[in-house]
This record gives sequence, structure tokens and C-alpha cells, in this order.
Amino acid sequence: MEKQKIPIALKIKQILIIIVAGLIVILFLTPLVLITISAFALPSDYYQIGKVIPTHFTVNQFKSLFFELQAWKAILTSIKVAGLTMLLSFIIGLPAGYALSRYIFPGKNFIKLLILTTRMFPLMILAIPLLIIFMRIGLSDTIWGTSLAHTAMVLPMIILISSSILSSVSVDYEEAAMIFGLSRIQAFFKITLPLALPGLAASAIFAFIISWNEVFVATILTLTNRTLPAHILKTAMASPDYFKFTAGFIMAVPAMVFIFFIRKHLVTMWGISLK
Amino acid sequence: MVKVRIKGLNKYFERVKAVNDINLEIRPGEFVVLLGPSGCGKTTLLRCVSGLEMVTAGRVLFDEDDVTFLPPKDRNISMVFQNYAIWPQMTVNNNIAFPLRIKKYPQKEIEKRVNWAAELLGIDSLLDRYPTQLSGGQRQRVAVARAIVMEPKVLLMDEPLSNLDALLRARMRTEIKKLQESIKVTTIYVTHDQVEAMTMGDRIAVLNQGILQQFGSSDEIYHNPVNTFVAGFIGSPRMNFIEVEMVSQNEVLCLRAKSLVVPLLDEFKDKASKLSSKRNYILGIRPEHIYVTGRAQKDKVAATKGKVYFAELLRSDTVVHLEKEFGFIVVKSPGDLKIKEGKEIEILIDLLRIHLFDKDTGNTIF
Repeated sequence: MEKQKIPIALKIKQILIIIVAGLIVILFLTPLVLITISAFALPSDYYQIGKVIPTHFTVNQFKSLFFELQAWKAILTSIKVAGLTMLLSFIIGLPAGYALSRYIFPGKNFIKLLILTTRMFPLMILAIPLLIIFMRIGLSDTIWGTSLAHTAMVLPMIILISSSILSSVSVDYEEAAMIFGLSRIQAFFKITLPLALPGLAASAIFAFIISWNEVFVATILTLTNRTLPAHILKTAMASPDYFKFTAGFIMAVPAMVFIFFIRKHLVTMWGISLK
Repeated sequence: MVKVRIKGLNKYFERVKAVNDINLEIRPGEFVVLLGPSGCGKTTLLRCVSGLEMVTAGRVLFDEDDVTFLPPKDRNISMVFQNYAIWPQMTVNNNIAFPLRIKKYPQKEIEKRVNWAAELLGIDSLLDRYPTQLSGGQRQRVAVARAIVMEPKVLLMDEPLSNLDALLRARMRTEIKKLQESIKVTTIYVTHDQVEAMTMGDRIAVLNQGILQQFGSSDEIYHNPVNTFVAGFIGSPRMNFIEVEMVSQNEVLCLRAKSLVVPLLDEFKDKASKLSSKRNYILGIRPEHIYVTGRAQKDKVAATKGKVYFAELLRSDTVVHLEKEFGFIVVKSPGDLKIKEGKEIEILIDLLRIHLFDKDTGNTIF
């Protein structure tokens, strides 16, 4: 069989796409690569003028960051805060998302708008009053306090995302389950949730990452129980430059790894129109 | 077998009356079809019976049990959905077994019943497949198998055939009807397709705008429609409706629309005596009750002439649109009729099979 010839215009188009995609990749990856290399660079290499790419590597910065500057404690706090945020935002957000996706009720659109308006105010305005309230009720400088603040931040997104994901699961499946012997709640957990799980898991990780990366509120609300970004802001930023790269590397890696795993679901999370 | 009674059922969606004061009594083991155009409330009525929709007023009774406020799971019903709604994360086997597992049947009994239902529907070779690996027709069968597997009190079907192609639909029509006859379950079947209604229903409830128009056998509904809506909705092509006035010619009561004069037979004298020449009436004649002259020997006919405007050559039938001063008369003739557009022909109206409606109310006079 004769090989089919690809028209020249189509070939040019393909090549152009590859070039543009390549440029975008370089644009995004260059800083990451530089951070990674510098994070492991030997201080003498790093400070040597005329040497752009270090050639000698060490893990000493990691050691001192983790142990002397007690980043391990901050990482632990961060995991706790982010996990708690994830949990809280789902306990509140999932039923709300379900209601928005399944029911028609008066004022539905207004409520949706209201959910979004909570994101309208800059955090700087909210943070100080929040701190004062938290100090009064004894939540300042606690894991719960930071988690609650983070939950308030991610909740609008979790509600809208989970409503969109649940809308993508046909109501018929749930109603069929109700006909064949389950209550609405049972039908939700047995039929709808398993079908929505990949998307919901992705949005949970999303909530985790937002909390993991959040620095402003965490810095203001805590002194001793600091999350990783707040801790780094306090310690590593006052240290030599190569420490900053090491800290940046520690910050970026978990988020990158998570996003890598959920990338398939990012489209479902935002792609389906909000009914 | 259960008797289903629907008493004074109302369902409002905010201000819209989707179902308006409906009373129905369905006999044990009966196959009742809810028929009507889209938006007539037939699906809403079915969902009220299923419990998926909460009624605004009225009650639903299965035998003597009031189920109006029971959740669907406690009603002992099953349902076939328009989009099948078989769960994609389960195999065919698990889909069909699901209702039994929830009701905690013993494993042996589950296997027995699943096999029985699967064999009945001819899907016993597909039990290990997932729904995505099935064709539309096969999914439909799985949905039906799941619905009958636990021998429900009432079987509800919501336009179950509307997503199938024409050939498969015709086959499933017969199969579902035969299946219902063999397992004798009280069935409520929603459709907008009059062919499904006529062929499957023991009785048909015709709905329009949330109101029950007529509830009767297909024979009653076809031959004695209660109003112009039922008369026009049942039958294909649609019944001819001609606005007429009452006149007396040679001492015979006649219905007249311009040049068309239809004398009333003695059979209708009683009912016609109440008619007044001042009111307006609508004459209804089904296209199959009008004949092209020379094609049939009939007495008791009224003849009229008209120009052929258009002829639909379906080959099995020929549907002629005849142009008159007041509009068109549609005539259904056997397919061997060869006819040219623009030609003047004579038609004969079967005087025994005419219908008369009050123009203002739309109600049937005879």
C-alpha cells in the first residue's frame, strides 16, 4: 500500500503546535529546574561568580532546614491543617453542592452568587478582625483556627465544584436506587458517590493544595503552630539565598506531585457548566 | 396483583398545575397507559405514584394501603426509566440482583431469580458485562429485567421505548406486553406514542394540560372520543375537523359547511334534536372513514367534490389532501390508488361514522 502524503499545510500546522507547546513548557519549567538545582547546590558553587549552573551538590541545606530550623514540625502542622481543611470543607461543601445540583428552590441563583461573594473581600481586610475574634474565643495560634480560616477560603470552590461534579452523575441513577429499595441518603452513598468519587477526590486534593500553599492568613493567625509557608517566611527568608531555594523546593514538590495525579480530573471539575 | 387508586391527585410546581385533580382506578393486573403530548403531566403523575415526587394534594392507594406519603423504597414498586438508568459501575448481573440484595434475599434465591429474569428477557449471556458494553436495546432489557426480578406490586414504565430505533421499538412493544401478561403485574406505562398506547394498553388514560380527558379501552377512545382533543390526538392521520352549521333541507337535518352538506341519519336523531341552529358545531370525520368514489361500494354516504392539493404516496396507503373552500379534507385510501395533484375527484363521507362536537366546549355530542 502506498503511503498517504500529508498535505504541507497540515505539516506546518503540526510543527507550529510543537514549537508553541515547547515554548510554553520551557517558560514554566525553567524556574522549577533552577529552583531544584539551586536547592541542592553547594554554597560555594552557588556564590561563585560566573557559574550559572552549579556542579557540586549537597543536602546540608535540607538537613539544617528540617532539623535546625524545625521545618519538619511545620510540615507536620501543614499536613494537619490541610487535612482538616479538606475534611471540613467536604463535610460542609458536599451537602451544599448536592443541594445545588439536585434541587430547584427559590433564591438558588442568589445563594450561588452569595457563595462567590465571600471571595470578593481581600484577605487583608478579613484577617485582622478574624485574628481578634479567634483570640477572644481561643482559636488563635491553633491548628483548628487556621483550618477554619482555610475552610472558609476553599469552601466556595468546593461547593461549586462538587455541585458541578454531582450534576454530571445522572439523577436517574439515584432515583432508580431509591425505587429499588434505598433511601435518598443511602442512594447517594451507594450509587452517586462512587460515580462522582474520582472528581471529588481531585477537588479534595485541590483543597489540600490551596491550604498547603496559603501563607498570608497562616502567618497572621499563628505564632508557634505555623504551617510550612508561614514558617518558611519567618525562618528561611532570613537565611542565605540557597536556603530560600531549598525551602521553595520543599513547598513546590508536594503540590506538583498532587496536581500531576489529578490533572485528568481538572477538566471535569471546572468544565461542566454549573446547572 | 394490586389495585391502584389515584384519588383527587394534584401536583403543583410553584404556580403551575402539572397534574390537576386526577382520579383513576386501575384494576389488579391491568396494563394502563398514560397517553398525552409532552408536558401534559403524564410523567409527573407516574412519579407521584412512584413516590419520587411528593403530591400537593390527593392520595395514592395500593389496594387498601395508603402509600401517599411512603418513600419509594417502601412502596414495593419498580420502574423502568426512559434512559434505562442501569448503574454503570455494576455488571448486568449486579444490576438485576441489586433490588434483591437490598431486600436481603438469600443468595440462592437471588441467583434463581436473576437467571429467571435474564432468560425471560434473553440477556442471560450478557450477565458479566458492564452497561457500557451493551447496545441500547440490551440496556433496555436489563432495565426491564431489574424491574421485574422481585415481583413488584406495581410496575411503572416511563417512555421506556422512546430511545430505541423504530424496528426494535415495535419488537419490544410486543415483548413487554407479552411479558406483562405472563407475570400479571399491575402496570402503568407512560408514552406519547399512540401506537404504543393502542397496542399495549388494556385501558388508556388520555391526559392534556394536567387534566384527565378520557379513561377507557382503545376501542372506546378511538370510536367514542369524549372531546375534540382526544379525537384529534388518537388516529393517524388526524381526524378532520370542519366547522359546520345546522340547517334543515327537505325536512332532513343537515350539517353544512359551504358546499359540503352532510345529512344526519336517523341513528343520530335523538341527540340531534337538542341541537340549536344558533350554536356552532364541529364535524369530525376520520380520514379512514372517507372513501374516494368508485373505490368502495357504500350506502349511507354523503358525496362531495374537491381538487387534489397533495397526495402522500406511502404505498401501503395513499393520503389525499383535498382542497375545499373551508380548508382541507384528508382522506386515507388504499395504496393502489393512483392520483394526480390538481385533479378534481369525488369523495364519500361515511355517515355512520361521523362525530359532532360543540365548538365552544369541544365536548362530544355524538
